[in-house]
Formats: sequence, structure tokens, C-alpha cells
Amino acid sequence: MRPAPAAALLFGLAAAALLARHTVSVAVLTIVLLIVCLYAPAPRRWPYLVGALGSALALFVITPFVEQLPGTVLWAGPALPVVGTLDVTTTELSGALFNACRLAAVSLAFTAYALWLDHDRLVQSAGFARRSVLAVALATRLVPTLERDAVGLVEALRGRGVEPEGLRGRARLLSPLLAGSLERSLNLAEAMEARGFGRVGGTRLPAPPWGRREPLALVAAVLAVVVGALWL
Amino acid sequence: MALARTEQLCFTYPSSAAPALRDVSLCLAPGQVTLVLGPSGSGKSTLLRALAGLVPHFHGGSFSGVVEVGGLDTRRHGPAELTGTVATLFQDPEDQVVFTRVLNEVAFGLENVGVPPAQIERRALAALASVGIEHLADRPVMELSGGELQRVCLAATLALDPQLLLLDEPTSQLDPEAARAVLELARRRGIAVLLTEQRPALPLELCDRVVFLDRGCLEFDGAREDAIGWLGRHHPAFVSAPAPVLQRAAGELVCSVEDVSFAYSDSLYVLQDANLELRRGEIVALVGSNGSGKTTLAKLAAGLLEPGSGRVERRGRATYLSQDPGRYTLRERADEEVGIGVEGDLERARPALAAVGLAGYDARHPRDLSSGERERLALAAVLAPAPDLLVLDEPTRGVDPERKLELGSLLRAADDRATLLVTHDLAFAAAVADRVVSLSPERELVHV
Repeated sequence: MRPAPAAALLFGLAAAALLARHTVSVAVLTIVLLIVCLYAPAPRRWPYLVGALGSALALFVITPFVEQLPGTVLWAGPALPVVGTLDVTTTELSGALFNACRLAAVSLAFTAYALWLDHDRLVQSAGFARRSVLAVALATRLVPTLERDAVGLVEALRGRGVEPEGLRGRARLLSPLLAGSLERSLNLAEAMEARGFGRVGGTRLPAPPWGRREPLALVAAVLAVVVGALWL
Repeated sequence: MALARTEQLCFTYPSSAAPALRDVSLCLAPGQVTLVLGPSGSGKSTLLRALAGLVPHFHGGSFSGVVEVGGLDTRRHGPAELTGTVATLFQDPEDQVVFTRVLNEVAFGLENVGVPPAQIERRALAALASVGIEHLADRPVMELSGGELQRVCLAATLALDPQLLLLDEPTSQLDPEAARAVLELARRRGIAVLLTEQRPALPLELCDRVVFLDRGCLEFDGAREDAIGWLGRHHPAFVSAPAPVLQRAAGELVCSVEDVSFAYSDSLYVLQDANLELRRGEIVALVGSNGSGKTTLAKLAAGLLEPGSGRVERRGRATYLSQDPGRYTLRERADEEVGIGVEGDLERARPALAAVGLAGYDARHPRDLSSGERERLALAAVLAPAPDLLVLDEPTRGVDPERKLELGSLLRAADDRATLLVTHDLAFAAAVADRVVSLSPERELVHV
């Protein structure tokens, strides 16, 4: 399938997850998207899955403690300044589960976009806002680039006989990784400018024609949004 | 008539007190190949950026004088307007790749300058073919080696069919054969070429004219024949063939690689049945073409990779210098960065910095250093632990010939360790190594 309709379909599923009102509906969408992501090659998918599922899990764990909703109290804790009384109620738990599923669905839709779509062809087929599409495509590359840079930093440390151990050892790599990505982005911006990016009157490598599946994907994307808003 | 000219060009980067270029006046004729030489930080790359319009439009800073390219004054016409007339290849190919597929990457510039859509693919494929990599057109950029990537970037510049080609160390990641092919190709195209190089022997054979910059000033500008004489008198390291080294008696065995095979994936073997011995007191240069497995063998020797089969034994501590000096920027200060390998002992870190010519740089942030200085910082970081086995992967990339001489002396001065030197720089290998081992494209080790 061409990347533009595939991106639209993923966007439709993410929108449906945000518009749906029932936890079961959102959970089903999350599982569908998770299965799509699990078909991607294992070495590439793990940082995305850890990010998507880890953040959803964190949301599920933290929300009941910071929300103040009525319901059957399952656990009551101390009263803290600013936060108030720490407790966990059934309403808070179900709300946390609903929001965690929503976050997971949206994150997994992005994961599927990052892992499965040909971003070059997506930029190629962008009929308008090509610069924005290119910016998104470049941003999507951040995760694999950071992963490769992190491997390089660890290798340089091991090459000096130092093994980065534990969470703290690895956390110390974050700052140089971010600084490195900023430096790289400046170099890239310079190279793009030198290659005429932003010049008026640009053309485009012709995009391959659509087949039968592409219009179907677009229809499915619209349907997903409508069904999500009205019935899920 | 001049294709491009600079007149009394002065430029200072916004973050710097000293000018990067001072009163540089040059005229570039159509079809002329000009080699820009000079020490690291002498302003070579800045001169190229000025001719591309990136200085001052992209970098800001203080600019005076005139730069004209194809009749366009760069003060009024930015880099995007100059694209097509000028094409620039930057030093680090990894930092200039926009797309994920090779064909799209080469097509990017053509799209920007408004080439009719029907012609874009044909011209991109022709450019790839001209550098011998048309078979890579559909490959993901992330899967390419440094040398292949450098050729993709060169193809992207050639596809634009420019009148002036600016090449900033275009062969830094290429083996000598590929480097010659690239430079001869640039010459054959009949366009004006301005290139910088830190391995000057080959471009000195092929250029028409040489420009020498030092601390931003134009020290020499003349024909190739005159330049060779001038360089011999003033900067002999740029032209003189290094004296062959006296082979030293090798000591005890520090590292042995026995019948080692290695594959990154199940089917693709990078090394098969490799054997290598490294003894205390000797420097062994490992040379070979791009993709022959040199870095893999170096990492196996240093213990960064485990062999698929065979055995690697080491006695004592090994350190490994990565090809990318940007990986030695973990701390906020240069001495602390070097101190990482010696448990933060700055008393051991500072002499290592001084040994590589970075005395007084203790408090500097590693990211504020130039590329040549970063390379030396990285070297200090692997020298500080006083290893029994020192493995250096392309330590002369971006290092000027005079600094290379110093590096060679530094390496030769130590006789208490074994050193494995991976390099494309055959002149440096000849000047430093006791033994040269070549990895053939068939991945066989040949002891030269």
C-alpha cells in the first residue's frame, strides 16, 4: 500500500481511539495496533514499544494517585501538601485504564507509522505542506538515530574499559545524546540549505500511481473516525 | 572571465573572537581544479562555505568583502539561489543525509532547483552510475558504509550539474583506489572544483592550482608545479614522502587472533579464519578497501566484539579509538572526558591531553573543539589508561599532515604497548608502522 493512505488509516485509528467513549473499544483498537507493530523486525521495534507501552503503563499507575474521584476506596494513604489525600478508588482506576489505553493506541499508531511506512514516498506524495511532511519524516528518524548514537557512545566508553552500568550510568548518556542530536540537526539544516531547500519553484520526483487498495484505505480511515465518534 | 571570486573576504563566526578568514582574494576560472591546503582550523571549510553562500547567510557572524559566484553577489543571493550553480559536499556524509533511500537522497537537490519531474530519476540514476553505485539506488541509506555514503553524497552534488563543485575532504572515508576514482571523476567533468584534503598526495597530482591558508590568511596561491616547490620549503609535511621507519624488535605477545570468523547477520561473513598477532613494542597497520572488515577485526582485537568462531586472547588492558571523535563528548570539560578511562584521575588525564598537543585545553568543552582537536582529544582519552594494546581506527581522519607527523612521533615513542592502526592513509601507515597487514576484498589477511 502507498504510504499516504496508510498514514491516513493510522491517523483514523488513532483519532477513533481518542473519540471513543468505551474502554473496551479503545482496548480493542490498542490490541489491533499492537499486533501491527509486533510484525515489524524485533531490533527496530523495541525502542518504540518500550516508549509507547512504558508511558501508557506510567499513566495508568500515576493517575489514580493524583486524581480525586469518588468511588469505592481500594486503598487510602497519607495526605500530602499540594497533592491532597493519596487514595485509589474504582472510578480512578477505570479512568486511568481508559486514558492509558488511549495513550497506548495513539503511541502505537505512531509506532506503526514510524516502522512500516516509507517516509521518502510519503514526502514524495505530499500534495501540499511538503515542508511539514518532510519535517515530520526527519523527526521520525530521531529514534533510530538516537539509538545508533547511543550504541556509539557506549562503544566509545567500552573502548576505554568502562562499562556503563545501571540506570544512572545510562542516564548520563542522555545529555550528550541530546547535544549530539542538536549538533546533527544544525549540520543537516546547513546541508539542506546548500542543496536549495526552500527555493521557490521546486518540483517533485513523480509518485507511483495508486492501486485499488489505496482508495479503500482512505475510506476506512474516514469510517474509523466516524465510527469512533458515534458508536465506540 | 572568473566563474567565482572573493575580494578582501573577512569573516568571523559569531561565537569566535578571531577571524576565520582574513582578506582572502581569489579568482576561480571555469574548469579549473583548485586544491585548498592548510592546517586544521585554517579556514578551508569556511572558504568553501563562503562560496556556497552559507557564510554569512546560515552562520551569521561578521562578514566583509565581496564573494561573487556566477555573477551573483552572495550578500544579496542566499545559498538556495546559488544551488545548481554551486554544489557542496560536506565533510561528514552522515550529517547531510535527508532521505532514507539512496535514489530519493540524490533526487532531493534536483527537486529543489526545479528540474522537470520526468528528468529527475534519470539524472539521479546517471549521477549514481558516474560514481559507480547505481546498484545502491533502492538501498536504505542507514545500511550503507561510510565510504558508500560519501559516494552517495557526491552523486547528489554531481546530479545538479553545477559550474562550481565545492568538495570538503571528499575522500576522507574512501580507500586510495576509490579516492582516486572520485577525484579523477571530478576532474573529468570539466567543471571548476575547489577541494580541501588532508591526504594531499593524490589531489596534488590531479589539481591545476593550489591555495594554502594559515590562520585565515592566504599564504600561497599558484600553479601546482610552483606549489610543490613552495610547500617543500615552507610546509614539507604536505609534500615529502615519509622516511621509512626502522623496524623494532617485537616483544611478548599481547593479542592473538586465531582462526576468527565473524558475521553481523547469519549469512554475511565479514571475516573468515583471520589470524593476527600483536606484540609489545610494535605498531601494526591494518589496511584494505572499504568494507573489507578492518574495523570488525580491530573491534575483535580490542574485545568490543566476540568472535563467531575462533579465539581472541589478550594480555593486559586494551583501549579502542572509534572512527567518530564525536563520541568523546560525554563530559563538560576536556580533562574530565579524558579522565573517564582512568577513574576520573585528572592528574593522569592532563598529561595525556598535553601529549596530543592540547595542553591548556583542560576546561574547554569537548563540543567547542574543532574536528581536528576532537580527534586529538579522543586519542588522549584512549592513551590516558596506558593500555597494553592500543587499537586506533582511522586516527588521521581530518588531521592535517603536520599534526600527523606529531601523531606518528607520539605513537613511535612508546615501546611498552602493542598498537593496531586501522587506516586508509597509506603514507601515514608507511611512516609509522613496523608491519603492514592488508585485508583483501575477499577478506583474506595478507602480511605485507
